[in-house]
Amino acid sequence: MNMNDATGSLVAERVSKSFVSGKLRTVVLNGLSLRVEPGELTLISGPSGCGKSTLLSVLSGLQDIDDGVVHALGQRLDTLDKHALERFRLRHTGFVFQGFNLFPALTAFEQVALPLDYMGLSRQEVRTRAEAALSEVGMSPCMHLRPIELSGGEKQRVAIARALAKQPDLLFADEPTSALDAANGQMVIEMLHRIARRHGTTVLCVSHDPRLIGHADRLLAMEDGRILEDRRSAPDPHPSFPTRVGE
Amino acid sequence: MVALARKTLIYEWRRFLPAVLAVGFAGLLQLLQAALVLGIFGGAAVYITGSNADLWIGYPGTQSVDQGRSISPDVATLLQMNPHVTRVEPFLWVDGDWRAGGTGGVSVFVSGIDPDVHGLMFSHALSPQLRERLRTPDAVIVDRADLDKLGVQIGGTASINGHRVRVVGVANGLRALGGVNVVASLDTARHLDADPGDQGRPTYLLAKLRDPGMSAQVAASLRGHSGFGPYQVWTAHAFARRSMLYWLFDTGAGAGVLFLACIVFIVGAVITSQALVAAVVGSIREYATLNALGVGVHALRRVVLEQALWVGVLGLAGATVLGSVLIVLARNQDVPVVLNLAVTLACVLLILALALVSGLASMRSLRRADPATLLR
Repeated sequence: MNMNDATGSLVAERVSKSFVSGKLRTVVLNGLSLRVEPGELTLISGPSGCGKSTLLSVLSGLQDIDDGVVHALGQRLDTLDKHALERFRLRHTGFVFQGFNLFPALTAFEQVALPLDYMGLSRQEVRTRAEAALSEVGMSPCMHLRPIELSGGEKQRVAIARALAKQPDLLFADEPTSALDAANGQMVIEMLHRIARRHGTTVLCVSHDPRLIGHADRLLAMEDGRILEDRRSAPDPHPSFPTRVGE
Repeated sequence: MVALARKTLIYEWRRFLPAVLAVGFAGLLQLLQAALVLGIFGGAAVYITGSNADLWIGYPGTQSVDQGRSISPDVATLLQMNPHVTRVEPFLWVDGDWRAGGTGGVSVFVSGIDPDVHGLMFSHALSPQLRERLRTPDAVIVDRADLDKLGVQIGGTASINGHRVRVVGVANGLRALGGVNVVASLDTARHLDADPGDQGRPTYLLAKLRDPGMSAQVAASLRGHSGFGPYQVWTAHAFARRSMLYWLFDTGAGAGVLFLACIVFIVGAVITSQALVAAVVGSIREYATLNALGVGVHALRRVVLEQALWVGVLGLAGATVLGSVLIVLARNQDVPVVLNLAVTLACVLLILALALVSGLASMRSLRRADPATLLR
């Protein structure tokens, strides 16, 4: 499932994004170009305010851009309207955030099943997928527990299962380990890595947590809205993509 | 489908409690206000609703039962000739000035009725035994709740328009609007009538029909006969309604009631929507996450709206329980409260509308569910 074609995944070309606060205009992304490959875990790291989260929100269709072009899975995102972006995200993307953002009233199973309901899947399919996803993150025994009964690490695993159950082509994670202790952080990043490998998912993770660096297939170091360094920590399984570093 | 709205409502009930209370109390206020209005202004029609007549015949254009003028007793002949009519009975209305020890003057309405056991007038309020007591000359019956106002006890005496009367009994359900209702026999009432123009002529004639379902047809067939002087025929239902509406709108109370209903609605909606906004904002990060995962804003709005409707239903349930208890309590204390199906349904719809409006207003806070704000 979700094996992207060679041209798929995420492509940003000369993307610019700035924010205006009062009379002050802050350039966050400065003509940035980038290709992210499927089937691997790409980690964007950099100091606070370097634009890494903005880059993630632009590539995932959560935010529009001022200039440039964004392609995701071969589709231009920067020309889509709000509803089309919602539809795109529903079909293709999963998110994991720093805060787990689980509904206090729902059990782990319901947290995972909820987005699937909106995808128009059959009841049986929702159940199968939710149980499989929870099983994959090792949360089957806790399926009927509410967030208040779960530890931080378990909550993040439920959040990952919620994203995973959608069987997304693109999985975005924003500081997924910063609210977790070392062991749980380690487990979460390994999980994301495994998802990329096993499902061929494009996993784009933003973090300033140095512990994650060793687990990424590819490391992008950002500063001042540009990519300063693009490094692979393991042999590249998809050598056909040339990568342009911040222009 | 995961019932997000309902599960959140149950699990986070504390968060929704202010909204439920706001809806509930707004509902209670609307309900009790309606019951009081119906009770108080229904008192204008107590002569009609407390009696067993199917048709009322009075002076043309009479707007309310207490505004009657005398009609010719000959109309009774017209009624008696109609094959559908089984009983005809005169009703005499006399304005009186009640004097008893220490109360000063009290304006009273004397109802002169037929004390016969099968009499139509006040058949619901007066038992055959009480009616029988009215046969005694100068005997009167008053409502139990009016005794203090009239300054008498059962067996006590007073004077009406300068004539001595004796209170031979009390009843419930005789309270009138705008004055005190005093029931006497037709003979006693004629005796008390200070207006020489009336000459004992009835203010109304009441008719009982063989088939009450025929009221409208018989009323129509009785209209337009000449030679009996001026008269008009109403069905009991229509005349009761006419009397109540006259009082409701002639006194300005109707406008007051509508005004209060609007205020209650607005205040209820403002408080409810604020409470719902707080509940939505409390889950805003979760909503934003759902939106990031592609669940559309419209779908999220439906969740908020569903919660608002549940809040409305719960508030309504609370208002119904509390309202029922209060209405029973009020009835026991002789407070005039009445509810009918139409008005109750109107209150229910108003409260659900309040919840809906509050839900629509609180939806705006979903704008803050911007998934980009989840990224840091």
